[in-house]
Order: sequence, then structure tokens, then C-alpha cells
Amino acid sequence: MSQKLIKIPFEEYMSPGSVACPGCGGNLSMRYTQKALGLNTMIVIPACCWSIIDGPTPSSVNHVPVFHTAFETAAATASGIKAGLHAQGKDDTNVMAWAGDGGTFDIGFQALSGAAERNEDILYVTYDNEAYMNTGIQRSSATPYGSWTTTTPNKKERPKKNLIEALAAHHIPYIATASVAFPDDLIKKVEKAKSLRGTKFIHILAPCPPGWKTPPEITIKLARLAVETKIFPLFEIEEGWRYHITHESSGIPVGQYLKPQGRFSHLTEADYETIQRDVERNYKILKMKEKMSKEISAMD
Amino acid sequence: MYDPLEDENGQPRFAVSTGDMSWNKTGSWRYMRPLYDNKIPPCTVGCPAHEKIPQYFAYVKDKKYEQAWHIILEDNPLPGVTGRVCYHPCEAVCNRGDYDESIAIHNMERFVADQNLKHHIPQSFIRDKHEETIAIIGSGPAGLSAAYQLTLLGYTVTIFEAAEQAGGMLRLGIPEYRLPREVLDKEIEDIVRLGVTIKTAIRVGRDIGMDTLQRDFNAVLIATGAYKSWGMNLPGEELKGIASGLSFLKEYNLTGSAPIGKRVVVVGGGNTAIDTARSALRLGADVTIVYRRSKAEMPAVPEEVEDAQREGIHIRFLTNPVGFSGNGKVEQIRLIRMELGEADESGRRRPIPIKGSEYTIDADQVLLAIGEVPDLDFLPDSFKLKKDRLLVDHFQRTGQPGIFACGDASTGPIGTVVDAIGTGKRAAHSIHQYLSSKTVHIPEEPTDGVPFDTLNLDYFQQESRPQERQHHSTQLKGDFNEVNLGIGEDDAVYEANRCFSCGTCTYCDNCLIFCPDVAIRFDVDKHEYVINYDFCKGCGICVQECPRNAMSYEEELKWA
Repeated sequence: MSQKLIKIPFEEYMSPGSVACPGCGGNLSMRYTQKALGLNTMIVIPACCWSIIDGPTPSSVNHVPVFHTAFETAAATASGIKAGLHAQGKDDTNVMAWAGDGGTFDIGFQALSGAAERNEDILYVTYDNEAYMNTGIQRSSATPYGSWTTTTPNKKERPKKNLIEALAAHHIPYIATASVAFPDDLIKKVEKAKSLRGTKFIHILAPCPPGWKTPPEITIKLARLAVETKIFPLFEIEEGWRYHITHESSGIPVGQYLKPQGRFSHLTEADYETIQRDVERNYKILKMKEKMSKEISAMD
Repeated sequence: MYDPLEDENGQPRFAVSTGDMSWNKTGSWRYMRPLYDNKIPPCTVGCPAHEKIPQYFAYVKDKKYEQAWHIILEDNPLPGVTGRVCYHPCEAVCNRGDYDESIAIHNMERFVADQNLKHHIPQSFIRDKHEETIAIIGSGPAGLSAAYQLTLLGYTVTIFEAAEQAGGMLRLGIPEYRLPREVLDKEIEDIVRLGVTIKTAIRVGRDIGMDTLQRDFNAVLIATGAYKSWGMNLPGEELKGIASGLSFLKEYNLTGSAPIGKRVVVVGGGNTAIDTARSALRLGADVTIVYRRSKAEMPAVPEEVEDAQREGIHIRFLTNPVGFSGNGKVEQIRLIRMELGEADESGRRRPIPIKGSEYTIDADQVLLAIGEVPDLDFLPDSFKLKKDRLLVDHFQRTGQPGIFACGDASTGPIGTVVDAIGTGKRAAHSIHQYLSSKTVHIPEEPTDGVPFDTLNLDYFQQESRPQERQHHSTQLKGDFNEVNLGIGEDDAVYEANRCFSCGTCTYCDNCLIFCPDVAIRFDVDKHEYVINYDFCKGCGICVQECPRNAMSYEEELKWA
């Protein structure tokens, strides 16, 4: 008597009662990620929303050990924990650094780059809500072009940093983008990352109702539109060069994604056109990279 | 030994969590409350019998056809019949029609009925026991539906049928190529097995009086149908070879033969006209239909019209007879062309004759099928009529105590099989109300179906409707084999899954999957989702991501 549209593991590794805002994409990201990782996992959280969401001492919504650490140190701390576990012969324990976009794109980037270059055996996940939401919506280098934040009161003039490409340049075994609107795809990617040795990086777009100025119930709708408009395509990169698009975006006009969001409410039709043009070009580049990596694979 | 968590004094070296956050009852943040709230789909509203379509589709998905059949039986004891002959108004209002193609609901109903040809309606369906007895006049779909529902309510029912066999218009009017008799016999037998007595060849007013029925039974239901054909009052109409289409069908369907001409003209655009024409074609005639409006206004089921044209019946649209001529026997029919004017009270454009456009065609048989009215001569004059039909109120009451009417004999909906079944069901509940002399629950008539724009279409893909199999004969003469053959199992399961299931939970888990706060679980024993309001923050994602509008979102203050 049931008709499942999406299948995800049944087991929960999070308790209710987190202090995430209603409709939080970050909370949902953690719930899905843990379903793939299971109990044999340690989490490192630098300063970010999740420092708060997890709960005040001595409580934690997570059923696995969580190590709270300083803003810039997620990847370094995770590397150290992994080394400690290795010394104890516990190589099967997953170590995950779980950071927001600020702690990844900006403040934690040096540590992340270092860990990735050393190919530390960690999973680094960024739940990207596209600004410093926890401190009151300041712009980060993950904030997209055109967005309002308290520090870009007019609009942000620079595009979002393409961190995926920066990571690809480190030639790590696995990089993927994921969305809370596609939980089965997200979980599959975390499972794949779990099965690989070395540095794995997953970029989850996590809508933020207070920061994006949207009603909480449309979190999933927005996350889906971000994918379907090609603004945030779902793909993975193996070894830094093998591209694979995991969900073909249907190509809905970007306006449908931008219009419901208060942070974009000042944009004009001309801005939509600029964004649409950039999005089309970026998607074309991605498609060509996928095609090229297939051709190169066939030559091997 | 070095303990990473405690120092030499047994104190923690750094802050360590000792428990989870379930002490933090975030439900207090909520100002909007999500809830599970199944709603009525448009198909159920559109079906005059209000069949619970998504509910039986749920069983078809799991190939549990007997349970699916039981759901249909709550509202309609004749799914094998209606799955074949119903004009399926359910499909016209199907939300899927606004997206790609409406669900083939009539084929689903037929499929489920055909899977259960060897099963019988369980006696356990009879819910109660009452002493009172009820007489029903007429064993057509209206009478059978009422008899069935009254039997389930625990009453003893006797049906009086004027013809030699039960079934009314289903047997006398509908040809075998649309409704095989073994299907009809089986479904009538099922009703008889439940305890309904059908006395055939007894005409009320001739073999037994209305007063006798009133004396011997606690209630009487008039379900005699509409058998008296309209005439046209045209010159030459008394000529031999001119008869009503219905009398022709009756004769053929009862005896297996009927006099047939070489060039037959059928007048009319309803289902009786199409049935008459296609039966005449199968008896070897060359058949032309004459209809005064255009194809769009034809009251007949569009698929039937298509089939008739495919089989070689010529339809002269916007044409009407003005007279008949012949030497003792009809030889020619004089026709006039029509054009469409303003809409009339039926909402269709009124046909107006075009002056001077008359012409003549040859015909040696003319069958008139322009409408039927009930024959109510057996009733005393005290009954009120409206447009030749028995006047009834919403509860199918005639105004005479203990006497009810339903189906084509009474006023009400437009006179199809499923309308008859729907009014029969309502009459049964109304009689129950009357006999138990207390307020009983008469199921409400649903009015609003789930609107298309409240569905979440992100979870559906464009998919086409399965094509029905058909039997096409190269030699139509004498071939009364069923033409429409329905859909197979694969198509039925596919179609059940294609259904939006508007307003009806299909246990897809979306609400549970997308809850950021782990506040929804599935209770396996009760087979339902449970929202933990201690923790639900009221974000509303579950309501938004429900593909089918089977959840609602209400102000928390209402629940305070």
C-alpha cells in the first residue's frame, strides 16, 4: 500500500530538539549524511550554525562524537583525529569535518587546502547557506552574485567562488555537489565517499529561511529549483578530472528560483538575464568537461 | 595510563556531552501546525456513485485485486457493467488531464471487476439485521443498486421485474458487443446470493397492484426506468418500417433476432441511437445516423461515436427529418439541413433549420432514438410529475409516505447507468432513514475535489495513458463479440501508479524524509504517520512536499 518516490535508509542518528531554525536546510543535510555514515563516525565542527544547532553542553543532537573546534581548523582537526585513530588501529572509523560556507570557502580554506594536498583520509562536507548566517547574514565568498546580505546592502557584485574547481585542482579522489531536495542522490554520494580512502569533499546547498528571506516551507522547493535551473547542478568529480553529472537539470528559467527569495527581491529583469547567461555558460562548461573526461577515459 | 577524557583528579579535561537534545521541546516554537488530512479527489466527486477511486487504486498497485474490488463494492455492486458502459465523468474531471492525459479510470474499474469474476460478494458485507421489508419495482441498475445497499443495511428486499430476465436497460437496451451477458449475469447473481429476491415477469399494475405492495411491504421504491420513446409527430411517421430504436434493441436483445432493413436510418445522437445503429450494422444493414446538431453536442460517449464511424456508419450531422414517404411502407425520408444558433437550456447550441435546404434519401427502415420517458401509468394520479418523470427531492422521496423513486423514472441527473446506481444508493440510505425513524447517517454528497494547483508536481513525470485493446472484426455481420477488451495487468498497475491520488496519502514517506527535525515517524502497527508535536517546529516542509495534498497546515492557535 505504499508508493515510495524516494528511498533512503530508515535508521536515524540524530535526536529531535535541535535549535536549528524551522525549515533549516543545514539540519536536514546532517540528518541525511549521518544516515549514510552510521555510528562508527566522528564529526568535527568549526564555528558555524551547527556549533549552535548541535546543542549546548552537555547535550548534542548527534548520536556520534562531535568535536567543536575553531573556525579555521576543521580540516586540520579532522586530520589529527584521523591520525590518532590510525595510531590506535581504528582505521574503519569515518572522520568528517562538517563546516558552513564561511568555515570552508573563506576562513577554513587554508586548512582544507593543506589537508587535501596531503590527501588526508577524511570526509569534508560543507553545508552551504551562502553567507555567515549564524552571526547575522554577512557575505562570504560563497554568497552568489546579486544577493543582499547585511554587508552587501546594495547587492553582491562578485560571483560565488567556484570552490569545487579549486578542490578539483588538488586531485583528491572524490568531489561531489549534493542537494537536500535530492536526498537519495546525497546519501549515495556520501556512501561512495565513505568507501574511498583519501580526502573526499561534498558540497551541499542548504537553503536558509531567515538568511534567504524565504518562508520555511519552501526550503526543499528552492533546493530543487537551484538544481533544475542549473544554478547548482548535481555532479561528481573523481580524481580531480572525471566529471559525471548525476542529475540532468531541466533548465527552468533562473527567475523561478530567484523571485521567491527576499535576498534577491531588488533584482531587475536585466539582472535575471545576466544571471541566466552566466548559468548557461557554466553549465555548458560543466557538460563539456563531462564529455571531455569521457573521451579521455575511452583513450586509456 | 593517560585518559583523554579525565585528568588525574577524575575531572573532565574538556566539556563532554552526556545526553541528546530531546529535553528541548521545540514544539513550543510552532505557530503553524501540519496535520494529515486526506481530502476528496475530483474523480470521486465526478462519479455519480462516488466511488473511492484512489483507495482501490492503492490495492491495484500491490496487485491485491480482491481488496480493490471490495472498495468499489462499497458504492457500486456492478463494476463489471460500469467499467464497460459508463460514460466515465470521473475521467473528465481527473486532475491528471490538466497535466498530460486523464487516468483510464473506467478501464481500471473493468480490470478489477474482471479479476474477480470467480469471486462473490462476501456475506460479511451485511452489516446489520432489520425486520422491515422493501419492494423495489424494476431490476435495472437503479433497482439493483438500491436492493444491494438495503441488503447490506440488513433489510429484506424483493424486486419485481416486468421482463423475463433481470437487468432492465442493461439487458434490454445495451447490446452484447458492449456488455457481454456473462458479466451482467455474474454481477446480478452476486446480488441475489446476498439474499435479494428478484421476481421476474411480474408487471406492477398488471400482475400485482401498487396498493398490494404498499400493504405487504414497509417501503416501496420505484425504479422502473424510462422505456417510452418520444415520437417526432412528422407526416408519414405511421408508415410501416418506422419504429423506436429502443423497441428494436429490446426485441433483438431478448429474442436474438429483429426485423432489419437494407438501408436503415437511425435518428438521434444519444447512446441509444449509437447502440441501435451498431446493432443494425451487425445484422447486415447499411446504416446512416441523422443528428440535428454537430458532433461536439452529441450526448453519446465520444469513444462509441468514434467506433461507430470506424465500423462504417455514416453520420449526417446538422440534419433533421421533416417527413417520411412510401407506399404503405417507408421508402424515403425527407431531411433538412440545420445550423447552430444560441445556446438553449441544456447549454448546447440550438439547431435551426436552414430554409430551402431540404433533400430526400432512400430508407426502408427508420429507427427513432431521440429520447425516452418513464411509463408511469401504473401509478395513481396523486403522484407529482415533472417533465414526465416522478418528482423526487434530494432524498429520493416522492412525497407519498414510504414511497421512493430513483433512476430514470424519477427526476434528477441525466439518466445514465452510473446515475441510476448513484440515486439507487441514495434512495437506499434514505429508506433506511425512513424505516429506522431516526436520524441516520446519510453519506454526504461530496462537492469539492482537490484542485489541480494544490498538487506538488515536482514528483511526477509526463506519462501517457495506456491504449485499450479492441476487437476489430473484418466481418461485422453477425459479430456481437465484445469490441472493447480493456487493459492488461501491466497497464493497470502502471495506471494505478500514474494516478496523482489527489488528497489521498499513498505512504510515499516524503513528509518523513524531508522533516528537518526528525519529528515524524511511521507507526507500523497503526499503519500511519505520526507527527511528534513536542518537537515539530511547524516549518511546513511536510505539507509543501506532500505530492498529493493529503496534508494541511493550520494556525496553532486553533489547537490551543
